Amino acid sequence: MIDSQQASAALDDINDVVQRVRQSRIYEIASLIITLWGVLVFIGYIANYLWPQQGYTIWTIVDLGGLVISSSVGFFVNRRSGAGNFPIRSTISFVIIGVFGLYCTILLGHFGPRQMIVFWTLYGMMFYAIAGLWFGYAFIVIAACTTALTLIGYYCIGPAFLLWMAVAHGGGLVAGGLWMRRI
Amino acid sequence: MADLDEIIHQPLRLRIMAALNALPATTGLEFARLKKLTGATDGNLGAHIETLAKAGYVSVEKAFVGKKPQTTVTATAAGRGAFARHVATLQEIIIAGKPQA
Repeated sequence: MIDSQQASAALDDINDVVQRVRQSRIYEIASLIITLWGVLVFIGYIANYLWPQQGYTIWTIVDLGGLVISSSVGFFVNRRSGAGNFPIRSTISFVIIGVFGLYCTILLGHFGPRQMIVFWTLYGMMFYAIAGLWFGYAFIVIAACTTALTLIGYYCIGPAFLLWMAVAHGGGLVAGGLWMRRI
Repeated sequence: MADLDEIIHQPLRLRIMAALNALPATTGLEFARLKKLTGATDGNLGAHIETLAKAGYVSVEKAFVGKKPQTTVTATAAGRGAFARHVATLQEIIIAGKPQA
């Protein structure tokens, strides 16, 4: 028989493993979504560079595509884990974040294309950083790196800014998503 | 008070069962992932999984993904039940050890 201190230590050990498993599952799902967003925004920047007049159309398609893909991944993961429901709360969260961003960029401020790109990237990364406070440091690392590269691009890179962002933002998300799978 | 389950009580087996029990009922963990989560070595983890499998607490499925062998370990219903009873016993021990008011 063991004493209460040993029993308490065993329960602490169990809790530690359970936390690790939960974080591992969050990383597994998030890494897939982050990598997909990385590919999408990479394509978006390249398309925006090639057809600068079509920026609004390109980014509307990219954002809607990202929303559909993220929700679909959430749906399939829920179904596989037996939860079975459409991730309605996550989808509504994405929509609220998007609507508020649109309100800021279109009604409150009148941003140029360059500022618009920086705003949406930093705005998205802010939520990654907040998510990191609950779900693990990997989100914070991805947010910090992408934010730093975006600001460097904004202040230091001239006409090749969109190409810089394709690598810094799109490539950064893909690299971050793949890294998240390995930790 | 119920007795502790001696098979589960061993520290690494406790961690293995805790990890598997934290997943949905039919979901398992790959050997490499389980190794990382429990902090075990290859040989050690393999031996303890075998002990748990002999007791009927886990099922082990071996498959090939491409050319790579992949071992997936899943907690059985009996294993989940035994783990829940073991945790309940640990909690009883803690309560029994507390000074009464």
